[in-house]
Amino acid sequence: MISELLTRLRFLIFRKRCRELDEEIEFHLKQAITTRIAAGMDPAEARRRALIEFGGIEPTREQCERQRPGWWIGTVMQDVHYAFRGFGRNPLFTLSVLITLALGIGATTAVFSVVDRILFRPLPYAEPSRIVSLGFVHPLERQEFVMGRFYVEWQKDQTPFSALAAQSTGVQNCDLVENDPMPLNCISFQASFLPLFGISPVLGRNFLPEEDRPNGPAVVMISYGLWKVHYNGDPHILDRMINVDGRPVRVVGVLPKDFQFPTLEAADIISPFAFDPAIQQTVNGGFGYPMRLFARLKPGVSVAQAYAQMQPLFNGDLKWFPPSAKSETRLSIRTLRDRETQDARPVAWVLFGFVLAVLMIACANVAGLMMARGAGRQRELAVRSAIGASRGRLIRQALTEAFVLSFAGCLAGLAIAKALVLVFVRLAPTGIPFVSKAHLDLRIGLFAALISCLCAVIFGIATALQKPRLAALNAKMSMSRNHAFLRRSLVTTQIAISIILLSGAALLLRSFTKIEKQNLGIQTDGVLAVKVAVPRLRYNTNQKVMDFYLRLESSLRRLPGTRAVGMTDSIPPGGWQDGFRLSDLHVQGKPPIPPGTGGTVVGRSVTPDYFRGLNIPIMRGRNFADQDRTGDEREVILSRLLAERLFPGEDPIGKRFLPGAHVSGAGAIVVGVADNVKNSGLTEQSEPEMYTLRRSVSDDWGGNHLMVIVDSAMPVTAIEPWVRSEVSSIDHTIPVEMEPLNESLNRLADRPRFETTLLGFFALTGLLLAIVGLYGLIAFMTTQRSHEIGVRMALGATRANILRLIAKDGLRMVLVGSAVGLGIALATSHMLKTLLFQVSVYDPLTYILVPLLLSLVALVAILIPARAGTRVEPAVTLRAE
Amino acid sequence: MPQSTDLLQGTLDLLILQTLALEPMHGWGVAQRIQQLSKDVLQIGQGSLYPALHRLEYKGWIRSEWQTTENNRRAKYYRLTQTGKKQLATELATWDRLSLAIAAVLGQATEASS
Repeated sequence: MISELLTRLRFLIFRKRCRELDEEIEFHLKQAITTRIAAGMDPAEARRRALIEFGGIEPTREQCERQRPGWWIGTVMQDVHYAFRGFGRNPLFTLSVLITLALGIGATTAVFSVVDRILFRPLPYAEPSRIVSLGFVHPLERQEFVMGRFYVEWQKDQTPFSALAAQSTGVQNCDLVENDPMPLNCISFQASFLPLFGISPVLGRNFLPEEDRPNGPAVVMISYGLWKVHYNGDPHILDRMINVDGRPVRVVGVLPKDFQFPTLEAADIISPFAFDPAIQQTVNGGFGYPMRLFARLKPGVSVAQAYAQMQPLFNGDLKWFPPSAKSETRLSIRTLRDRETQDARPVAWVLFGFVLAVLMIACANVAGLMMARGAGRQRELAVRSAIGASRGRLIRQALTEAFVLSFAGCLAGLAIAKALVLVFVRLAPTGIPFVSKAHLDLRIGLFAALISCLCAVIFGIATALQKPRLAALNAKMSMSRNHAFLRRSLVTTQIAISIILLSGAALLLRSFTKIEKQNLGIQTDGVLAVKVAVPRLRYNTNQKVMDFYLRLESSLRRLPGTRAVGMTDSIPPGGWQDGFRLSDLHVQGKPPIPPGTGGTVVGRSVTPDYFRGLNIPIMRGRNFADQDRTGDEREVILSRLLAERLFPGEDPIGKRFLPGAHVSGAGAIVVGVADNVKNSGLTEQSEPEMYTLRRSVSDDWGGNHLMVIVDSAMPVTAIEPWVRSEVSSIDHTIPVEMEPLNESLNRLADRPRFETTLLGFFALTGLLLAIVGLYGLIAFMTTQRSHEIGVRMALGATRANILRLIAKDGLRMVLVGSAVGLGIALATSHMLKTLLFQVSVYDPLTYILVPLLLSLVALVAILIPARAGTRVEPAVTLRAE
Repeated sequence: MPQSTDLLQGTLDLLILQTLALEPMHGWGVAQRIQQLSKDVLQIGQGSLYPALHRLEYKGWIRSEWQTTENNRRAKYYRLTQTGKKQLATELATWDRLSLAIAAVLGQATEASS
């Protein structure tokens, strides 16, 4: 076997020389002649008979040559060479094909590199599909979490998982204390965490079980980034003592470079979770601390089965829950991919679908171009076929040309993709996971190669199927009927696809303008949001924090042009905001609201100027007054929605809330009703809202969230430096962040803007390509028919007649394409549902305007070449015969 | 001269290998030998002989070398290699099986028709 292979290889490299074969044949002939002469034949006759008997010498030679292994490589090289010569003769054609292909392949590759991580690429863990995130979810926390008490029980009683590992709920700020404290992110996980994910540290080791217990040795692992950047990749980092938040800890390991936390957070320092089952039964009202839980499914157990097996345990847990939480809490088990990609998948699919459609249009265009060229080459093909090229050989030649073109297109496409990915990463909003990680790598390169091969096959076959007809040798060139039909269907398909893309993009655009134009209930022009990072180390009591903010408030009020200075813990419509359950509220003199009903309420703790600053009208009652801030009474203002829900048909002013989960002290009195404000992001349904007065009492100044809003008559850019200097005149070490509210609002719309821009861009690209295809076909057909047109005109047809003749042909394609496209668009538009805001997937305006627009553009693309066709001089075309 | 029979696909290789198993031979010799042994029934067109020889050589079943004939002419002699011998054995076995099978089928067919 091996020797055979070697022999083949030897012959592949050292080709047998032609001379040897000639000599061999010559010997054979001489023998034949000699034999015949010996039998008494005349020498000349003997030679003649021998030659006849031998048959063709040249075919024999060729046959022998063909036996050589690797013979076909030579012919492929011939084909490639021939293809190059053909392209060189027709640079305009080659260039247009290359540009079209490069655009199509480039865009597809770029989008693939973005959606690959969301849709296809396995997560960077061992057997990632077996890993799940599990725990409780409820309306206030939609990501799975579990309370320590229940984790203890689950560890003991669960059946579907082979391993469980907990992680702290999220990263926390911590300081690496060397000379100056360096702010870092810290997180903790159990020793079983890394093994569950199949990850081992790149340096050092994982936590030992004895380190992962309460009061164990103080050890940490550090991230690859911290090791490389801060410690310059010091190989002696292990066993080094570092100081985190004033506590000396020993470094035992460095995480791998590409390690990705399942929560997609970035953490620099990881400490052991040190789970203490005993403590979990007592702290936090006997529930234990919340944590994130990940698990590996046992072989053969599906997520649904795991869910079913965990359900009894969960039901047992529920009885510990307060009634209010019981009905809202659910068990959730999600695959890690669902957990990590969140809601990015529908967008990713739509985007990928769009770009594939654009690629199809591009391919169809190239096929059209190739076929037009093929029609021009019929005579050449017929000649080649007549001198002995087999049909297979001609098909192979056509495919070779297609592959050469698409290979070049692939290379150019990769360059375009590289640029496009940079643009995507630039444009991408923070909300879509993984986009910022997109880049070209081997996998993406392979994908690009694959789709270009696919393209090559598609348009290569289209040309290869053109049969060379011997008639073409003597007849005038003409487009065969089949060919015309194929090209017409290609263009019709292109138009249909464009309609689908355009209507999708138009729907998104409509939705986006609705998002932009909706009434948020607040005015943001000229309002500056100031965030002051008060260091907790020095401002360690609520009193100090309050004093700082009150001083800041009064100094900002003195700035020229200031209309209002308000303080709040959050600003609508997005970002963090406090929330509680409607059933937590208890109105005096009314029966308690049944637990678990009414959904959630947004809570905001504000000063009186909040309403003035954001221009939120008070519909009834009054705003908070400055004297309320020092009074004993606790005032609240309800949003219209909340007032209607709690006090339908009643006057809410003067109603009292009894103390409860959200109302402290002696209860609170309703003093006013404010108009509704968009408060659950730009696209979600707004929730009822309750404003609590932030009094000048230290109790009201806890919590991590505090923001100052400054409404000024001066331009925002002018007051920014003033605000900065006011802050530093109180405490010059405190860093200040500020942003005009308009800009932060703008950022909230980043994601729909990104989606709309991208899809719109691809839809327009698709339209452009389709129109170019239509134009090209009409122009081509008009040229082909110039003779016929000449005859018609000679027989008395007017220019208008001819124009109508050509335009009718084109319009038929547009109409059929539009109809088919509309049908498919209507049938598939439901996939866009999750991306749309207040726009129906069957939005009539979209489905009327898009075909109209396309028809209009198509009409132009038809009329220009058609008009050129009517300028035919009958005498000229007839003489050309 | 009796009518020559078209060679069954693949049997040409077998015939060449079998001929060369007796002694190394040049192309002309192979053709003559096959024709003689088959009593002129099998005539090998040169158009297929040389490609076949080359094919077998590329497969490594036979090897060629230039030698002088008894008439003092330079000719290319083919000889069987070790792999070629093995291949011949397998092909012969296959042939036997095949011809037995065909004979059996034809025999039955004859019985059935009679």
